[in-house]
Amino acid sequence: MSHDIKRSISLYSYQDEYYDGKLDLEGCLRETAKTGATGVELLAEQMIKKFPKPIEDEAFRENWFAMLDKYGLVPSCYDAFLENRIYSNRTLSLGEQINMMKRDIRLANMLGFPVLRTLVSTPMDVIEGSLEYAEQMNVKIGLEVHAPFSLNSGWADGYMEMINRTGTKYFGFVPDMGIFCKNIPDVLRDKAKRMGASEECLKIVDDAYAQRVAKGFVKIKYDLDLGKANMEYRMANGMKEMMEAVEKAGGGPADMMYAGSSFTYSWSESQDIIDNIDYIFHTHAKFYNVHEDYVETAVAIPEVVEAFKKAGYKGFLSSEYEGGEHLRDVGVDSIEQCRRHQEALRRAIEG
Amino acid sequence: MAARQIFNPDGFKNIEENGKITGYQFQFKAQYYRGITLSIVHDISVNVDGEDAAREDISLTVNGETFTLDQMLTVVDSDYRWEFGEYATVTVKKEGGLVAGKHHIKSVQLIVPSYMPFPVKANCETDFVIE
Repeated sequence: MSHDIKRSISLYSYQDEYYDGKLDLEGCLRETAKTGATGVELLAEQMIKKFPKPIEDEAFRENWFAMLDKYGLVPSCYDAFLENRIYSNRTLSLGEQINMMKRDIRLANMLGFPVLRTLVSTPMDVIEGSLEYAEQMNVKIGLEVHAPFSLNSGWADGYMEMINRTGTKYFGFVPDMGIFCKNIPDVLRDKAKRMGASEECLKIVDDAYAQRVAKGFVKIKYDLDLGKANMEYRMANGMKEMMEAVEKAGGGPADMMYAGSSFTYSWSESQDIIDNIDYIFHTHAKFYNVHEDYVETAVAIPEVVEAFKKAGYKGFLSSEYEGGEHLRDVGVDSIEQCRRHQEALRRAIEG
Repeated sequence: MAARQIFNPDGFKNIEENGKITGYQFQFKAQYYRGITLSIVHDISVNVDGEDAAREDISLTVNGETFTLDQMLTVVDSDYRWEFGEYATVTVKKEGGLVAGKHHIKSVQLIVPSYMPFPVKANCETDFVIE
């Protein structure tokens, strides 16, 4: 099937340079364009100060679109955060949450984004209550499918039921490619070593991960109590046994950090992309470390991109660099990482 | 390349009111990846040279306005967010402040993003000098 796979960068990727004051919003757009990407994904709360006020200002929006024109970029996805626990003594009511969702849909529309990414903590009722408005604003709501969640799971079935029941074309998924990790990222392992982890403990964790990949991960269930669902998922995937083995081998804090973090990565079959392609509006091309030879050792880029091609995907693969958090003790170069990742994507798409 | 800077190296100082030193100040950046409404900052603990500051003695200043930790829990105005990559100023009441010389600070930011099953607990630590 013919595909139309475009490349984008989520400005999340440049967070370390932004944090240091080396790049501002325009600098991030300039770096995005340099990589050959044509799409830009934005976390408005990250790079627009006094969010959401400036977006209401016409001069601000004119400048935004002028910058996009200057660098030859188009908006790909707006990443929303439904801050439904903004008050510590209660969760916002359903109506309040729907209003917040509608606000974000409107902001996305004003900045030209065709897709809004929402998070797994967004209650189903809030999504359903926003669908009509999303259609009016022509902004599709995409639920991020981030590890430990996965497509083709009891969790995803809950949302498929809603899609089928309502017949909506304005709700679907934004898979995060962290669900396609064949290995634990090497930058995490290197950090654990710098913190004093032992080879023996690292091997216990790596072997356990390899076993989960080989056997297939036990999928997470649908539960609004995400902490509970996550803990059940971890236990079903052998966390207790693995932690005990690490402890028995004399594991210290660095070993425990590595062991615990290993549960934030997962492997799904790339067939999941093909099965769900009609509902995939956008994709977070999550990555952790791309080497000089354009190989990412954790995320199976060629295999997953091949599935997108086979499925006839028409949308963006948006680079989302998340290796920086493991390099903050030694220094981060997101600009070079994004350049390499875009090249790796280009080769996989065009190859 | 260098390690991430959390504290403003020039931000450590005693503060004086009406000729008396009433406490000390430091500046640091939120260890989270987006600007946040102050209401989701549930705690900032401060320990200098092994001594814990009391929660009620700690306040935070952003964009020229100062809030105690309890007041912060209800601050949702978009003008007073802790912007990503920007220093906030923490003021700690302490009669006489800190003596001149070398010190060590341990401060923990407890940030509670709504979508996360667990809060973000960031341990921030550094040596500093009071002139």
